[in-house]
Amino acid sequence: MSPLHHPSADILAAYTSGALEPGFGLVVGAHVDMCALCRRHTRTLESASGDALASLPEAPMGAGALEAVLKRLGDAPVAPPRADARSALARLPLKPRRWVAPGVWVAAVDTPHAADNRVYVLSVARGMPTARHEHSGAEFCTVLEGAFRDENGLYRAGDFAAADNDVNHQPVVVGDEACVCLFATEGRLRAQGVLGRLAFGLANV
Amino acid sequence: MPDLGGEGDERLLARVGQGDREAFAVLFARFASKVKAYLLRLGAPPAVAEDLAQEAMLSLWRRASSYDPAKAKASTWIFVIARNAWIDRLRREKVELAYRDSLIVSEESDGEAPDDAAIREQTEQEMRAALDQLSEEQRQVVRLSFFEERPHSEIAEQLNLPLGTVKSRLRLALIKLRAHWERLA
Repeated sequence: MSPLHHPSADILAAYTSGALEPGFGLVVGAHVDMCALCRRHTRTLESASGDALASLPEAPMGAGALEAVLKRLGDAPVAPPRADARSALARLPLKPRRWVAPGVWVAAVDTPHAADNRVYVLSVARGMPTARHEHSGAEFCTVLEGAFRDENGLYRAGDFAAADNDVNHQPVVVGDEACVCLFATEGRLRAQGVLGRLAFGLANV
Repeated sequence: MPDLGGEGDERLLARVGQGDREAFAVLFARFASKVKAYLLRLGAPPAVAEDLAQEAMLSLWRRASSYDPAKAKASTWIFVIARNAWIDRLRREKVELAYRDSLIVSEESDGEAPDDAAIREQTEQEMRAALDQLSEEQRQVVRLSFFEERPHSEIAEQLNLPLGTVKSRLRLALIKLRAHWERLA
């Protein structure tokens, strides 16, 4: 099924141009991976970026740059890498899972990001409350498996959600499957409630 | 030595894919300084931008055999190479995780989703058609904002438009692109 919740146009444009912060680009990438519509949109933006690149004023290369690169060329071009057909969740390098409550685990994503940001996967089984928390900046989320519902609607696998300083919502897991989401959160997390403190304190994400 | 100076970018890139060093040198002269300018706009310090531009050109050489002129113009393909060099080297984020590039990775893979096959078949011509639906003003705003990473306020000043207009026009321009793809989907 195609995702229903997409990144806003400016988020997708920033993603395409390479301007999103590390971690945040990963969350958008997980959505794009599962969304044919956004992959097409991204390709169109890449085409516009190609035009923009060609019309940029030059920033001259250092003396001898061409010679330096020519020396490193090696023989023939190599075969391109094969596409990794595994799911976004299977491809993510995760640190060990920490169980923080029955049916709830969290795992930090082993990827570079700003010291103040958090990039992690949270899995919540059916019937468990999600960790209510506040943050001082933006939060991106892509549902990898399962589904949750909040006041904005139903979010299923592939759906993307962005929040900015959004404090008072507590999503509820829907369906029989555990809901597994990839998050990038800007700024320090301030956990609320016991579960939140467990998830973000003990699990060290 | 053949004179390649008058050749189009697409033919040159196809020749690089065959291992043609002279074609590579011509493309280097045309694009390396543009790639460096793009990296500077993304916030790379000058020395890093120089290094990364060299890395990107090296990557262009290595990957050129995957270039298909029917799928993308050379500047689009080179942009993707440059963006990936930035993500991969400077941030050391695994680029395959964040971007599943239909332009760069090999054509076929086992268990490919039907969606991916459709996108592989997507041509530069279709891209053009999508972009042509934008008005010149909309194109300008898109370009200024997402590519040059300028604050919306600066774009508003440059185009002599109210800030709200720039923001809504940008949104409109991009939503229009999306609508185009929705019709094709």
